[in-house]
Amino acid sequence: MDQRTAGLNIAIFFCQQLDVNQDKNRRSLEKELGPRIRFFPLPCSGRIDPLHLLRALESGADMVYLIACPEGACRYREGNLRAKKRVRYAQQLIEEIGLEGVRIEMINRTAEMPDDIDAIARELLARDAKVSISPVRSNAILSFMQK
Amino acid sequence: MITAERKPMAEIKAMLAPYRKILVVGCGTCVAECASGGEKEVGLLASALRMDAQIEGRTIEVREMTIDRQCVYEFIDKLTGVADRYEVILSLGCGAGVQAVAEAFPKMLVIPALNTTFIGETKEPGLWVENCRACGDCKLGYFAAVCPVTRCAKGLYNGPCGGSKNGVCEVDPDTPCAWQLIVERLENTGRNDLLEAIYPPADWSRQQGKGPRKIAREDQRSES
Repeated sequence: MDQRTAGLNIAIFFCQQLDVNQDKNRRSLEKELGPRIRFFPLPCSGRIDPLHLLRALESGADMVYLIACPEGACRYREGNLRAKKRVRYAQQLIEEIGLEGVRIEMINRTAEMPDDIDAIARELLARDAKVSISPVRSNAILSFMQK
Repeated sequence: MITAERKPMAEIKAMLAPYRKILVVGCGTCVAECASGGEKEVGLLASALRMDAQIEGRTIEVREMTIDRQCVYEFIDKLTGVADRYEVILSLGCGAGVQAVAEAFPKMLVIPALNTTFIGETKEPGLWVENCRACGDCKLGYFAAVCPVTRCAKGLYNGPCGGSKNGVCEVDPDTPCAWQLIVERLENTGRNDLLEAIYPPADWSRQQGKGPRKIAREDQRSES
């Protein structure tokens, strides 16, 4: 079952350097999926903080992605390398409270992936769901998903 | 700076288990610098606690607050009027902060979320290293500002021991030999003569054995 069919709420943090037209491109998918998906553009994936990831989960996201540039291709040299460590830190923290670490995933864009952020997101949504609806979400006020 | 590390979540959860209304209080000074008890860490811990309660089907109320210093009453006072609305304060301060907050609120339960570890410096982002034992008898002036009590594994006042290799301590290959640093710095600053002196054992009574130490400065104290 893919992530869309599984009814997962998805939060996608991403580096704006990936797609110069991200502002326009992501809106079509946001319109299509409504509050089930939420994009958070970052000036660089190195801007991510574990707190962003935890707040996303706490606010109702079932899966949180961070999409970054390929390793070695960060505009700010090592932003995506720092982001990788922060994602690991956040994964460890949620594992401590019994949530699956895989609910937070970092993806470094590859040459095979499309250029547009919405197309990348569609590929993610088409993946098999690794997790079910979050036990946090069942009680959470979905403020995070509401604009 | 006083450094600290967060306790394992299981230990924090066990201490908080009987309580439903929790005030998580950070400290914006030392433990914020070492990324264990500042505003961000308060947010992370509070978020984790709320999610944990939701997973377990418990209802809790968690409020986040960070004050500039938990070891100074003027800053602790910002909790007045807030703390009494909660059953417990989870402090992300160092041991001094936890105790100062507890003293300011005698009827509140105050629980530590951190293990206070040492006095140290930020060596690089994400790396903190101990460099002061607070021995109460500082001799850095004789040792070119490198503390042999803290940074030499053997705590030698009259070193080097002869066991270092390539400037690295034989006890820990990740640690530079403190005496190598002392000798180099004394040479660089033209104070080789200090190497000739024989230093007597430290006066440890200034550090321990008499209960909590105090510093009293009459010129700083209020009239009473």
